[in-house]
Amino acid sequence: MNTNIKNKLVFALALTLLLGGLFAGGAVAADGVQLDQFHASQGVACADCHGADNQREAVPMIKCLECHDTKAVAAATADLQPTNPHDNRHFSTETDCNYCHHQHQKSENFCTPCHLRFEFVVP
Amino acid sequence: MSKEKSPEENAVDQYTANVLQNGISRRSFMSRAAVGAAAAGLGAMSLTGLTGSKAEAASVAECGEFAKSSDGGATLDFMPKPELIAEKEIASTKTFDVVVVGAGASGVPAALSAAENGAKVAVLQKQAIVVSQGNTGSGIDLAKSDKAGIEALVNRLNADSAHRCNPALVRSWAYNSGEAISWVIDRAKKGGATVVDQGTGPQHGIRGITEYPLNFVTSYFGPKPYTAGDGMRALAKTAEKAGVKFFFNMPAQQLVQEKSGRVVGVISKGRDGKYYRFMAKKGVILAAGDYQNNEAMSNYFIPDAKNFVRKQMDRTGDGFTMAFWAGGVIEPLGHTKMLHDFDAGPAAMCDMPFLAVNRKGERFVNETVAMSLMNNYLRDAENAGHYSQVFDADYMTGAKGWPGKLYSPEELKNYMPEDPSPKKGVFPSQTNTYKADTLEELAVKLECDPKTFVASVKRYNELCKAGKDDDFGKPANRLLPVEKAPFYGIHRRMRVSAITSGMLVNANHQALNADGQPINGLFIVGNMGGGFYGGVDYPLTVFGLSLGRCYTFGYLTGKHVAKL
Repeated sequence: MNTNIKNKLVFALALTLLLGGLFAGGAVAADGVQLDQFHASQGVACADCHGADNQREAVPMIKCLECHDTKAVAAATADLQPTNPHDNRHFSTETDCNYCHHQHQKSENFCTPCHLRFEFVVP
Repeated sequence: MSKEKSPEENAVDQYTANVLQNGISRRSFMSRAAVGAAAAGLGAMSLTGLTGSKAEAASVAECGEFAKSSDGGATLDFMPKPELIAEKEIASTKTFDVVVVGAGASGVPAALSAAENGAKVAVLQKQAIVVSQGNTGSGIDLAKSDKAGIEALVNRLNADSAHRCNPALVRSWAYNSGEAISWVIDRAKKGGATVVDQGTGPQHGIRGITEYPLNFVTSYFGPKPYTAGDGMRALAKTAEKAGVKFFFNMPAQQLVQEKSGRVVGVISKGRDGKYYRFMAKKGVILAAGDYQNNEAMSNYFIPDAKNFVRKQMDRTGDGFTMAFWAGGVIEPLGHTKMLHDFDAGPAAMCDMPFLAVNRKGERFVNETVAMSLMNNYLRDAENAGHYSQVFDADYMTGAKGWPGKLYSPEELKNYMPEDPSPKKGVFPSQTNTYKADTLEELAVKLECDPKTFVASVKRYNELCKAGKDDDFGKPANRLLPVEKAPFYGIHRRMRVSAITSGMLVNANHQALNADGQPINGLFIVGNMGGGFYGGVDYPLTVFGLSLGRCYTFGYLTGKHVAKL
């Protein structure tokens, strides 16, 4: 994947997260689009994650890291209230992205039900 | 049993014999007679009760692709046989004296202890950081305790485990924990931790156990949000200075075992998908934690816990699978669980027998039942561990002298998410205490059905007035009515902190195989280690027993393996 797409992705993610922060009090997600569609719109092909033979194998987190820098993501959400989901006491900045951000189904807030009132909008 | 053996040794054999007979191992579905004959070397251990159907299980082929239940009847597909990794798939091989799997409350002390005793040590950690939960870790201050007092506590802990634990392991904690906890405190401090020894102060639960002196070393890495996790990360810094090499994002996949059965290393899988081999000249110490996040494994070994939310993440029982395929024995079904909630309201009020209602709003128990056991009344999917303690404006006088320590209405605000006061020494996302002017309003805040809740309070108040609990038999001096506004409720959520049963080990924490023989080179500590508990639930007699055992057995085992 070229650097241009990568930069665009980081920007889009940061923007979505910031919007998520703004809308955290409301119940409506900032964007109803599933991440597979979003990734596709950014030029990411199935094979980029699932391998050239398109075997639909489970995608390890390292695939996400080819484009997304966990430390940059954590910095982008540093001021998110009530807490920064990308720098936590369980995994530091290295939480498996897939816990929350699903590609082919609706994303979920993995912090709940343990953490009451950790109400994030998850793109 | 042999007449030459002391009662103590016979008790040990009872535990080990039971696990060998009923536990899960590669050989447990093979001929019981063969196991019995092999185990004869252990002493006069009788493995009777062999039935025809069990003997038939001998015909099952030696270890297929998956593990089998102890009677051979069920295939345990959550424990698949590790696939052979070809030499060319191994990206690198590094050699150490000791390889520790898991950087938590047992693994980090084990690694540091081994390094201080001269070993070259590697720690393989699944996550990107050192991870540990909880806070208090306890040991016995031997210099300030009488042996009769210590033995009285050992007896009490055996009783807490329904006498199904291995008393030798309880004694191993009892007589070494003071030294180990003091060592952890000192070494964690050197790594920059904020830690204090609280001594015997927090140990309210030991009252009445003995008339002889019994004192504690109690490590405390708090207040919240600081936990033993911060403590272990500091301890890991000290360990790094002592030469321990930490490998993060490096989950262990399988053990390297010689034909003789000796465990000589570990193969991990890096984030890059490549395999890395870590050879251990002296031994591998598994400190990989429990399996609470492995649904199939949990449902099999501890079905009671099915509907409870898990507090931890990534505890998928990898260590269990590795130890099993290396020949280890998993303790029989019905493992010990740990469920509590010290965050919703003050921990010191958790065992106070106020009116308690379940998620529907019904009174469901004699409230003198300890919080650590309450989960047993809330195992169904609807309650899923939720209950609320309910009291009224007069609780400070009405509950005076009850077990624990009362927090004033002002102090309770710290646990109320609706109160705007800044929160100190708590996890704000876990507080769950409410105040209301009417019972209906309180019911809504506690997420109970208001009608049911109000009816339960009315009935309870009648019993209080009569001074006689016809419904659950609670003593009259614990029947405190809920009449005067404002009303209070602490909504506690029992979730799984840990599962504390595991692999069969001997007093050196060395894994035993199905013949009762030590597996060379394989040691198991922390929540993966079996034999320290045996009851339905982890007891709260000694606050911090769990971390205390993890530190202590890590400390002892690191030293032991380094000296091999």
